[in-house]
Amino acid sequence: MDPPSGARSIVVQVEGMTCSSCVQTIEQHIGKLNGVHVIKVSLDEKNATIVYNPKEQIPESLQEAIEDMGFDAVLGDTNP
Amino acid sequence: MPKHEFFVDMTCEGCLNAVTRVLNKLGGVQFEVDLPNKKVSIDSNHSVDTLLDTLKKTGKNTSYLGEK
Repeated sequence: MDPPSGARSIVVQVEGMTCSSCVQTIEQHIGKLNGVHVIKVSLDEKNATIVYNPKEQIPESLQEAIEDMGFDAVLGDTNP
Repeated sequence: MPKHEFFVDMTCEGCLNAVTRVLNKLGGVQFEVDLPNKKVSIDSNHSVDTLLDTLKKTGKNTSYLGEK
């Protein structure tokens, strides 16, 4: 999965997921947002790795989108 | 206050918590969640549409079952 140039990736800590269905819902819902290229959610590590287009999304908007779904989201490391 | 019943496709505690949190965020609601039957009963002055939109935020399949 080679992200297009200019894409950034962030890791968001997500609390409150307990099963694979929570994981799927987040992947489907966030994956549909504009500017989100790739999302990978890990239940074991309780986080979501999101590759996004910084022109269309910012870390805070992605965090808010996850919180809107009813989970606790905390921004982690940014790896440009 | 009218009591509305919704079907929400919840499968685990995590789903239930997610539903609880979005409803609490909306405010002005009293609700009971029935996980085994995938039902949420809500006491509220909000319109059915508002409630349905709120439940849909969780990204789960949701439908209105009717007044109770």
